[in-house]
Formats: sequence, C-alpha cells, structure tokens
Amino acid sequence: MNRREVLQRTALALGYAVTGPALLGMLQGCKAAPELTYTPEFFTPEQALLVAELAEVLIPKTTTPGAKDAGVPAFIDGMMKEVYPQVDKDRFVRGLAAFDEEAKKTYGDRFAECKSEEQIALVKKHHEAALANSTGGGSFGWWRAGGGGEKPFILEMKELALLGFFTSQPGATQVLQYNQAPGPYKGCVPVTEVGKAWAT
Amino acid sequence: MNLNIEAQKQNTYDAIVVGTGISGGWAAKELTQKGLKTLVLERGRDVKHQVDYPTMTKDPWQLPHANKLTEEQLKFYPVQSRTNWVNQANKHWWVNDLENPYTEVKPFDWIRGYHAGGRSIMWGKQTYRLSDLDFDANAKEGIGVDWPIRYKDLAPWYDHVESYIGVSGQMEGIPHLPDGKFLPPMELNCVEEVFRDKLSEKFNGRKVTIGRVAHLTAALPHDPSRGVCQSRNMCDRGCPYGAYFSSNASTLPAAMKTGNMTLRPHSIVHSVIYDEKKGKAIGVRVLDANTKEEIEFYAKIIFLNASTLGSTFILLNSTSPNHPNGLGNSSGQLGHNLMDHQYRTGAEADVEGFDDKYYVGRRPNGIYIPRFRNIGNDKRTDFLRGFGYQGGASRESWSRGVAEMSFGADLKSALENPGPWKIGITGFGECLPYHENKVSINKDKKDIYGLPTLNIDAEWKENEKAMRKDMKASAAEMLEASGFKNVRTYDVADNMGLGIHEMGTARMGKDPKTSVLNKWNQVHDAPNVFVTDGAAMTSSACQNPSLTYMALTARAADYAVSELKKRNL
Repeated sequence: MNRREVLQRTALALGYAVTGPALLGMLQGCKAAPELTYTPEFFTPEQALLVAELAEVLIPKTTTPGAKDAGVPAFIDGMMKEVYPQVDKDRFVRGLAAFDEEAKKTYGDRFAECKSEEQIALVKKHHEAALANSTGGGSFGWWRAGGGGEKPFILEMKELALLGFFTSQPGATQVLQYNQAPGPYKGCVPVTEVGKAWAT
Repeated sequence: MNLNIEAQKQNTYDAIVVGTGISGGWAAKELTQKGLKTLVLERGRDVKHQVDYPTMTKDPWQLPHANKLTEEQLKFYPVQSRTNWVNQANKHWWVNDLENPYTEVKPFDWIRGYHAGGRSIMWGKQTYRLSDLDFDANAKEGIGVDWPIRYKDLAPWYDHVESYIGVSGQMEGIPHLPDGKFLPPMELNCVEEVFRDKLSEKFNGRKVTIGRVAHLTAALPHDPSRGVCQSRNMCDRGCPYGAYFSSNASTLPAAMKTGNMTLRPHSIVHSVIYDEKKGKAIGVRVLDANTKEEIEFYAKIIFLNASTLGSTFILLNSTSPNHPNGLGNSSGQLGHNLMDHQYRTGAEADVEGFDDKYYVGRRPNGIYIPRFRNIGNDKRTDFLRGFGYQGGASRESWSRGVAEMSFGADLKSALENPGPWKIGITGFGECLPYHENKVSINKDKKDIYGLPTLNIDAEWKENEKAMRKDMKASAAEMLEASGFKNVRTYDVADNMGLGIHEMGTARMGKDPKTSVLNKWNQVHDAPNVFVTDGAAMTSSACQNPSLTYMALTARAADYAVSELKKRNL
C-alpha cells in the first residue's frame, strides 16, 4: 500500500472525501501545495495540476510573469475542450498520463509533487529527445511539415504553452511588446531603437 | 388593379444593382451620383462601416482560444475553412457552408461572404492594372475569344477608380504593369531592399516593387472620413480608420449621401424578369430571406454584381420561353470558361545578417515581382502566359520557440529578441479559359430557401500545371541568386477556387455568338442588363483582378447612364 492509498483510506475512514489539491497537500507534507487557480472544464484536477506545473516549467515566472500568471493552464484546458479534435484530445491525455507515470516511476511522486529540479530534469529529458528527432526550424506546423510522424507530447505541450502565453496580455505586453496601432510602417529601424520583439 | 399598379410603382426605380461587394458598391456609387434612383439589393445582412465590425479593436487576449475556431464553429465552414483564414475575429464574414450548398463535380473551393460589402471587407487589397499584354493575349494565341476592349479603353477608368479609392504604390514604368494614380508607396524593409537590388542585378532588370495596395498612405482630400493606415494588419475585421478600401467604408456611404440609394438587405435576387414583348429585362425577382416573400422590383437598367458565380447563377436561373437555357445564353457560353489564379507554390530562404535591423508596424502588404515570363525575348515552350510573385521578408516571432533547444527562463529571454530574418515568395499564375471548366444549375439540390444550386466542374489543366513547376523553380532560382541561404521550395496543391479570384462564366466578347457580354458589359441578349463583376472576364491575366472589376463597372455605369439619356435603353 502506498502513501496515497493510505491517505485515501484514512479519508474514507474519517468520513469525508479528500480530493484534488487538499489531497496533494497532504501528500507533500510541508511542501507548499500547488493549487489550481481556475476550475478546469476538460481536465481532471490531477491532469490540470500537471498541465499547470508543466507550463510553468516551460515558461517560469522570472522578473516577468510566467505561464500561470498569464492564465496558460486555463487556456490549454479551453483548447482541449473546444478546439482540439477528439483524436488529438485523446493523444494529449495519454501523453499526460505517461508523463506522470514516468515521474512516479523515477521520483516516486506525481509530476506536480516532484521537486523543482526533478521536474526540470524530466522535461529536459523529453524535450531533448523530441527535438533530436526533429528537422528543426520554422514555426507552427513545422513538425508535421517536416514529416516527423506523431508530434511528441512535450512539444505539443510546449506549443500550446507558448501560444497561450504570447497571446496573453502579460506575455504580449510584459515579456514582449505589443502595439495595436503602430502607425505608418517603418521598414528599416535599428533593433536598439525598437527594443524587444513584437508579440505580433 | 389600382393596388397592383400602385405596388408596381412603389417597386420601380431607375436602376437596380444586385450585390454590394467590390463592384456592386461601385455601381451603386456611380449610378446614384449620376442622379439615378437606385435600388441596391443585398442577399445578406447590412454591415455598417465601424458600427458592425464587432472585433475591429480586439487585442489578441480578447479573442478566445488564440483566435482559433472551436470544433463546433468549424462545422459551419467545411469549405470556407479550406483557406485557413477563418478565425474568431473574422468568422462572421464567411458564408455558412451548410446553408449555402453547391456541388463540387471536381474539387472547387467557393469562398464567399454574404453581407453588405461582400468580400470587399476581407479582400487582399492588392491592386494592379491589366495591360495590352493581357488584352491582346487571347487573340494572339487563339485562346478563347478576343477581349472586346484594349488598355486605352480602360485606362481612364483605372485612373478614376484609383484616385477615388486610394492606392499606394511605386511608379516603375513597366509597360505590362502600368503605373497608376498612386499615393506614396509603403516602405520595403532592409532585406527586401537587398532582394530588389540583387534581383535587378542578376536578372537583367527584373523588378521587386512594394505591393500596390488599396490602403491609404496619405489623406484623401475628397473623402475625409477615411484615415491613414496604422499598420495594425487587422484589416479582415473591418478597419476603424477606414484605411483600406471597402464598399462599406467608401462607395456605399458615397451612394447613400446622394439620397438616391435604397439599400435593401436580406434580398436574394434569384432571377431577372425578361419581357418577351419589349425584348428586354424589366426587373428582378427577390426572395426576402426573412419573410420568404417573393417580391418583384422594376427598373430601366439592371447591374448584376452578385459575384462571378452569383451573377452567372442569376442569369442561368432566368429562364423564359425565348431563353430556355438562361438569359444571355444564346451563345451557349454562359457558365463556361471559369478561371481562377493558382498560387501556394514558391520558395523561402534564410537570410544571414541584419541582426541589428528591425521594423515597426505590421505592414498589411508585401513585395511584388511583376510577370517576366513570355515577355519580349523570354519565350517558354512549355506554357503560355505567366505569373507574378507576392511575398516579403520578416524576422521570426516567438513561435520559433517551439523548435528551440531551450525551455524555461533561457527560452523566455531568448524570445524577447526578434528571431532570424526569413524571406519568401509565392507565385500567382494565370489560368486559361477552358470551355469545359463550367458551372451549371442543379435543380435537385436546393439551398435553405428552396432555390436551386450550382454544380461547379472545373480543374487546372496542362498549361497551369506546367506553369506551376516554373513558379516553384523560378522562385528558388531568384532567392538563390540573390544570396539567400538554405532555399526551400514548397508546393501546397490547391483546388481551383482557393485563389478567391474566380472569374469568367459570362465573358465579354465581340461576337454575340461566342460571348455573353459586349464591350460595355451589356448582356448581348438583354442590353439593359449589365454584368460588371468577375463573371465578365475574358481572360484571367495573373494580376489580382478587383481593380479591373471596379474600372469595368465605372465605365459601364457611365455608358448606361448616357444611353439612358439618349433613350437607347
């Protein structure tokens, strides 16, 4: 019997259900529990926590906002619920399960409960393996265009995280720069005068 | 009886214009400004400039799902979404394919916008003149029929239209791509300037010029309601500044201002009423999309501007004892000779250097390489006619990050800088008129109003296929020779229709036996009916065609009014 099962039985024995973040908090002991800042409509609470932590590893809060600040987890939940075709939804959910399974196998915890170094190490491993197979370069759609077969889960996740992040207000205006009405086009300006990259 | 006469009188105008898109708006403006009481019939809803552009000022984060359509929304656009351009910000401009069916005998992407302004709201704004290279071609090569007009017939009307709508561009003195009445050109960026210079040097004067576009780069003294382009590149939502030309921002308000226009939305014209005794058309039959009521409207002249296939549908569906196969079809050419432009093949490349250079603004425009094939000493044995290129150079955005080796804080800081420069060009190729490329009425398949629909039976043929190979190879050759690196070609096969330049099917010509329209765009068989949209085209050239539709419309309207005054119509 593992820790989780013990806790679940305890909860049942106490006559109340411990679910989601509360359960995870108990599992982690003293470590601050990751909490969902939105109510997922597609993901289960466990999947949603994994997506949120993964997005934050890919785009962390630094001196500027990170994926969670920008609402990326809710964005991905919405994309899965409304935009992705069923076959892609299924593949993504399978990817999540496999990723969490590997975290448990390697570190004994779900990804969301792993230590930060462990999370980064696991992402790095998958990310490097995926890109080693790629033809590189290009923007969205490059994976399929490169004839790379089924897109690895970590890259699907990265693509979604970047898309959600840089179309968000914090991503577009605090990490990059955005101007809805820039005025007449100037074709050749020193980068130093322009500053950061345009969000769009 | 009196009631009937009264109703008839109420429904009688000097002129009727069917359609409010890029040519219908022009017909409405010209006819009303010349004093004709004009009924303008639009099959869809009204769209008022600015007022009815719900997404025009939305920022990226104000659009759901990063602007992508949901699975549920996509169900309405199985055809329109083949463009890859239907999104949350512009979805209200594309027809619901489920309500507007047609039959693809061969794959044909029929891309439509059924509302006031039509596709002038989301057009590409590229604005080029045809020349005698184009008007002479059919006769010289024995293809189709000869155009009944030449450049000199249309030149003053190109002037007239360009001056009014505002076209920015660079004078180049190219005989086969005549200069026009241009507002200041938009700027090339640093890499495009290099391409321009290298191409000219390596290919004996072959040109890269900034796209000629219907965007204001300077104020229009005659139309202070329209402002200068702010480089938002959100044009397809409708422009709050009215900076690009659309019927909604320009011609329809001008027509309204005369007090002579009655714009009637939700009015589906399905046929022209032909009076056998009078030997001419007397009006149109309308199905009111809301009430499903059948209404007749009458006028001395009728302009069909319902879009290429829309206008041809109306004529094919206008049968009478003397015109059993449709009005204007005594030649048997109505519905035939459907054309489009082929594109989505070309090349792209990496650009070394210029890391210290960037740009400000999202220029809603690119570069243009005018046609160079089968001109002067250039003679191809494998295909007739030619193609132009559109393209541009830019720095890669944050989206390159998916394929970057880094993630986390490193990736975030790398993406704060603009990415490497890339350059790409896409060919736009001429399509010959083939009798076998055709549309016809399908009485078995009905739309939601119970009206018959169209069968579309058209395909690219050998000339287009051979040209396409050269469109790809020449793109790579030019990028390579200009010193760009890692040149990659692409060819994303496209169905006919995807160019959204469908044209022909009621061609102009000199002989009523072989053409549908005469040199004034009058239907040979019913001279008070004018067709001045893309249906009229006798050949397709390779230039974006909207400017030519507008010029033909203004010219025909001028002629129609003068003939009316002479009591010839």
